[in-house]
Amino acid sequence: MQKPTAPKRWLTMKTYAPLYLLTLPGLLYLLINNYMPMFGLVIAFKDVNFSKGILGSDWVGFKNFEYLFKSSDAILITRNTLLYNAVFIVLNLIVAVGVAILLNEIRNKLLARFYQSVVLLPYLISMVIVSYLGYALLSMDTGFLNKTILPALGMEEIAWYNEPKYWPYILTLVHTWKGAGFLCVVYLAAIIGIDQEYYEAATLDGASKWQQIRSITLPLITPVIIMMTLLAIGRIFYSDFGLFYQVPMDSGSLFNVTNVIDTYVYRGLMQLGDIGMSSAAGMYQSLVGFVLVLLSNYVVRKINRENALF
Amino acid sequence: MKATKMGFGLLLVMVLIALSACGSGSNGSAAPGGESSAAATGSGETEAPYELNVAFPIFGAVPSGISEVEKAISDLAKEKINVTVKLTPISIGAWTQQSNLMLTSGEKLDLLYVSGTAFTGLVSKGQLLELDSLLNDHGQGIREAFDPQFLKATQVDGKTYAVPSKREMAVDYGLSILKRYTDKYGIDPNSIRTLEDLDGLFETIKDGEPNLPAVLVPQSAGISFVDSFRWFDPLGDSIGVLPDFNGGLTVTNLYETPEYAEFVKKIREWYQAGYVMKDSATNKDNGNELIKAGKGVARLSNLKPGYERQASIEYGEEATVISLTPAYATTSTVAGVNWGIPHNAKNPEKSMQFLNLMYTDRDIVNLFDWGIEGRDYVKKSDPIIGYPEGVDATNVAYNLNLGWMFGNQMLSYIMEGEDPELWQKMEEYNANSVKSPALGFSFDAAPVKTEYAAVTNVINQYKLPIETGSVDPDKMLPEFIAKLKSSGIDKIIAEKQKQLDEWKKNN
Repeated sequence: MQKPTAPKRWLTMKTYAPLYLLTLPGLLYLLINNYMPMFGLVIAFKDVNFSKGILGSDWVGFKNFEYLFKSSDAILITRNTLLYNAVFIVLNLIVAVGVAILLNEIRNKLLARFYQSVVLLPYLISMVIVSYLGYALLSMDTGFLNKTILPALGMEEIAWYNEPKYWPYILTLVHTWKGAGFLCVVYLAAIIGIDQEYYEAATLDGASKWQQIRSITLPLITPVIIMMTLLAIGRIFYSDFGLFYQVPMDSGSLFNVTNVIDTYVYRGLMQLGDIGMSSAAGMYQSLVGFVLVLLSNYVVRKINRENALF
Repeated sequence: MKATKMGFGLLLVMVLIALSACGSGSNGSAAPGGESSAAATGSGETEAPYELNVAFPIFGAVPSGISEVEKAISDLAKEKINVTVKLTPISIGAWTQQSNLMLTSGEKLDLLYVSGTAFTGLVSKGQLLELDSLLNDHGQGIREAFDPQFLKATQVDGKTYAVPSKREMAVDYGLSILKRYTDKYGIDPNSIRTLEDLDGLFETIKDGEPNLPAVLVPQSAGISFVDSFRWFDPLGDSIGVLPDFNGGLTVTNLYETPEYAEFVKKIREWYQAGYVMKDSATNKDNGNELIKAGKGVARLSNLKPGYERQASIEYGEEATVISLTPAYATTSTVAGVNWGIPHNAKNPEKSMQFLNLMYTDRDIVNLFDWGIEGRDYVKKSDPIIGYPEGVDATNVAYNLNLGWMFGNQMLSYIMEGEDPELWQKMEEYNANSVKSPALGFSFDAAPVKTEYAAVTNVINQYKLPIETGSVDPDKMLPEFIAKLKSSGIDKIIAEKQKQLDEWKKNN
């Protein structure tokens, strides 16, 4: 007769109160670090003058966005960014899942750990160092390729930093070498979580290794794959700045294939230092990523409700 | 009950940790203030000396002996104007970003080095204070040190926003080459007067030294050969220039001029003949280091009186210098190195007073330039100094060698071996230089910033490959020009012309 829900709710809250309290610092950090700075979005629409302060500066509407679309390079950088990221997502996925499956098959636990560390190591190396590793290979005067390998194969020296046509492959190679290790660890964790009984049942039924992978491993890690891919799609307009700026040694001849939105904005604004314009670029990138994540999630939800992120 | 108590206990602990982190942060920054006020009361001052944070770029490692120099400068400054000084040297590679950060984050900053290229940008964003009234009240020494025409170079709209350092105010361009090569092949430096004469020089050396990878190296990272041999007034950024110094005031597209096409053709010839370092377009090292590493033996660069000795020190062996152009004074050469007071300076009067000392006080200037007397140098006969026993250029504790940066270089001592009449020669050099008709004009890019970003990108793409001879100019130059046009360079040039005409009316 009296409402049972009120004391019950209070009881539930009391039981879970410590857990809620535990989330407080994290939430506070999220609020301060991620949500409060959103006020800075106004910078993209203002002509910032520091003597007037951010709030007092003039509004300029969409003028700060113009340089991203008006120049003849606009299509080029968008194309470069999208194409590279699409290739990276697909390639990294395949390589990472493949390596994770292979690592899972290794019986010797010590060796498995060792290989895992080796695969992860490139991810931890700074891109500047990687660019100099590349330079040691590709330098026109003293590089390993030009001085040792190509002569051994009887081929002419190549001016690597002046020829754009090799660089889509070089950059993809470097990115996969560097990034696949990290993804691999994530997928490995997912694979380890799969119950061994499935495999035993499959072996009893006479399934081959490849069939087991196709029917057990892949379907069961699909949620993780979808989650990682959706997250990657959310960043599809962003690029690894180090990869596209440092590795080609900032060589002008290669810009047509190595200029992406991030490097374009950096180079264009180094002299001007206009933070309104760079904020506009950042906003453009995150807006597109946001829309794409919503769209992709919607598509995934239509196919299989459980696998969607939200 | 127990769970809730634990929960609250946990929350309390978290909040305490967060607060103590904040607390220790502010304590850390409060401490120096506390110290200086304690010192002040100790010396019987009526108010605590204000601490000035002075930021400037350096081109090598931070010298080991800088903290004693900082203390000595600080003590002198405390005596004279009741300020203490903190030096903030920042590596040149990180300078643009770091200084930008300091200005935008409102960090404590009182005196800032301002490069010529950064100047108008900082002014248009309101990051530098207007200095005219401060100069009148506390900076008379600065006004007196300069020919008023030179002080105009750091004005925007008739208001002064920075002060150039007093050094060579003009520039001539030429070749510096290791002396042993000119000696070996019996080449008389006086026989070389123009760029064409260099053909013969390079050919002789290349033929005689088959193991040498190249003769000519770039001046520094990201610098092309056009940057090291300017026959034009770049009007700040080389986007729209005055093509010669004959008095004309027509802003022209440098990349479309016949002189530019000729120059890059010549560099291309040199590149294909093997005279020019092959990796010049992607070079990230300073030219001195390239020469010391044996990658080449000569470089084109901007010169000044006393350059021969400077180059010899930098190369580690004797160098010959051959000048190839007359000396020009442009806004860039005068206002290439400046000091400004940032908008976040809390006590601009003190900043200006200290800046004034940098232009008038010999002791402070020499502390900045040479370090501690006795440890880093010894006086020989005013103004000549030398290194003390056992010390030389390679192991001296304070080796910044940035005399051209700090205030009035004419007050600096002269290292033995250098021309004792260096400063007289420099005053003559400045006085006799050809002054550009646009001296004092600075371009404000804000009205055309959309096109500016696009054009900057195009220039970054083509400039180094074309101007280092790495690509064929017959193919790339027309492409470059077409792309510049489609990115709006004509709009920028029209705007620059408009601003130049207006400036000329008032000057």
